[in-house]
Amino acid sequence: MIIKLALRNILRNGRRSAITLTVIVFGAVGLILFGGYKARTFFALRESTINGRIGHMQIFKEGYAKSQSQKPLDRALDDAAAIRKEIERDPRVKMTAAQITLMGLISNGEKSETFIATAVEPPKERAMNSQRITAGKELSDNEADAVLIGKGLAESMHVKPGDYLTLMTTTTAGSLNAMDVRVVGIFMTGVKEFDERAVKMPIAGAQQLLQTTKIEKLLVFLKNTDDTAAVHRLITSRVHGIEIKEWSDLAPFYHQVVALYNGIFGFLGIVVFAIVVFSVANTILMSVFERTREIGTLMAMGTTRGRLRAMFMAEGVGIGIIGGLLGLAIGMLLAMLINRGNVMLPPPPGYTVGYRLQIMMQPPVLITAFLVSFITATISSILPALKASRMKIVDALGHI
Amino acid sequence: MTSKHVIAVTGVNKTYPLGRIRVRALSDVDLTIGRGELIALAGPSGSGKTTLLNLIGCIDKPDDGRIVVDDVDVTRVPLHRLSTLRRDTLGFIFQTFNLIPVLTAYENVEYPLLLQNLPRRERETRVRHWLREVGLEQQAKQRPDQLSGGQRQRVAIARAMVTDPKLVLADEPTANLDSETAARILDLLGEINARTRCTFVFSTHDPSLIARAERVVRIRDGRIEHDTTAAALEVA
Repeated sequence: MIIKLALRNILRNGRRSAITLTVIVFGAVGLILFGGYKARTFFALRESTINGRIGHMQIFKEGYAKSQSQKPLDRALDDAAAIRKEIERDPRVKMTAAQITLMGLISNGEKSETFIATAVEPPKERAMNSQRITAGKELSDNEADAVLIGKGLAESMHVKPGDYLTLMTTTTAGSLNAMDVRVVGIFMTGVKEFDERAVKMPIAGAQQLLQTTKIEKLLVFLKNTDDTAAVHRLITSRVHGIEIKEWSDLAPFYHQVVALYNGIFGFLGIVVFAIVVFSVANTILMSVFERTREIGTLMAMGTTRGRLRAMFMAEGVGIGIIGGLLGLAIGMLLAMLINRGNVMLPPPPGYTVGYRLQIMMQPPVLITAFLVSFITATISSILPALKASRMKIVDALGHI
Repeated sequence: MTSKHVIAVTGVNKTYPLGRIRVRALSDVDLTIGRGELIALAGPSGSGKTTLLNLIGCIDKPDDGRIVVDDVDVTRVPLHRLSTLRRDTLGFIFQTFNLIPVLTAYENVEYPLLLQNLPRRERETRVRHWLREVGLEQQAKQRPDQLSGGQRQRVAIARAMVTDPKLVLADEPTANLDSETAARILDLLGEINARTRCTFVFSTHDPSLIARAERVVRIRDGRIEHDTTAAALEVA
């Protein structure tokens, strides 16, 4: 009877209930769209950071993190081939890629700039698809003197594919060494500051410049990011004399974005919560005032305070459930339309490339949107329900 | 053992705040009502009859004095703890019918039985019986706004009687009805009283209603002026 009464009373003043439901639906849709956008952004940023730059894990020689040496590759990975073979035995591992990072000066004969180079294995680098080539071509397998340079750096050095530059750095022995390199391509990552300093070169070229045969680290790429911790444990048990860093430890930007978006999402949630609370409380409170005489009658007939509270709270719960379900349906429909609509967003701060707006319909986002609607509507009904149950019967019956 | 009185009111006083002053609604009222009686509380507007009805109905508290309803001293118990007594012992009929607008006639009559947690079959038997008694079997599925004033008051009577109460309190039950409909409602109340021997107490200043009462208690300025039978009144 309580549920029947609640539903009929919700329908009793259809227009007012419709306005309240609209507020709840707007709130739920807002949470679904922003939550879905946030989830998609986190996912895309995480996967592009992992697959394009840092891998799921990076393997270093033991003690690498605490090393204070100024010389490059002072803590280089010993016997990288054997380690690599052991790691790639695991079917969850997609591939491993050797890398060296080095810094120095780059010159076109007229001006010099600092550079940060990542020495890579060209076939693995192509598989990572980490950058967009804006001119020229990718690094090929057998050209030790070929380099790709960032778009900003290319503009600063006034070079185009086919031009020559000189790289100068400190070798592993501590002396200076220089090497002429040929620009085969210009790339863009989208991060402006990085593109103004970035150089990519083959491992063979970097080893020649640094006068070494070693590598700095191995990047491990998995088929599924969720396996990171498990594979980490397995590698630790199988390979000794190394230290492993997971992607999460290597991606501060990702964590900054997550913290920022979660802050915004939390604020949005509070705003939605406040709007829904006031709207539903207002509806039920008006309903209490309009039904004062009815409340008196129900109490005169022997309805207990608890039952009366339950009756009015059931209305809040009913509005919350209906509004939450409608919000889910409309939110999911809008998300589908947006995903099909190919809507482009402008580049985020620090980036030069825009991206496609996509809403990820993850169960946690949908459940959160529904629960926020449901719980806030329920909470909103507590005060009106208490007010109704505490009325003096004789006053309520005399109410006009 | 139950006493022969369903109601015993002793030395009851009641005042109400009106702005900065307090208005005395009842002064030192003593009244006993036997089981099965049909009593009219008569008096002009503001005399205190509705106040007395509210106190007997356990929906208001006296300032002092004692009220015993069906052997329970209700003055010692907070009103919200008397809901079980109101549910099981009392029935209410209001001047403005006070039906629940979102419920059908059937559901309105069924509501007090739901409070008693009776099984569905028993509820159905009782509701059908009382809708038949008040002549509204055909209107069971209609909501109050689809019923006439007289029909609404019949639903209210069925709702008051469905729990088999010991005492029915009716506050000006015919005040919102035309004279013909009011007469039919009075006939119905009289028949039910005669058949069930349930005690009926109603407040009124309608002479036709007063004339049908077995006993009339006249109230003026918050005091009981006369307490006699209708027959005795006629003789006088």
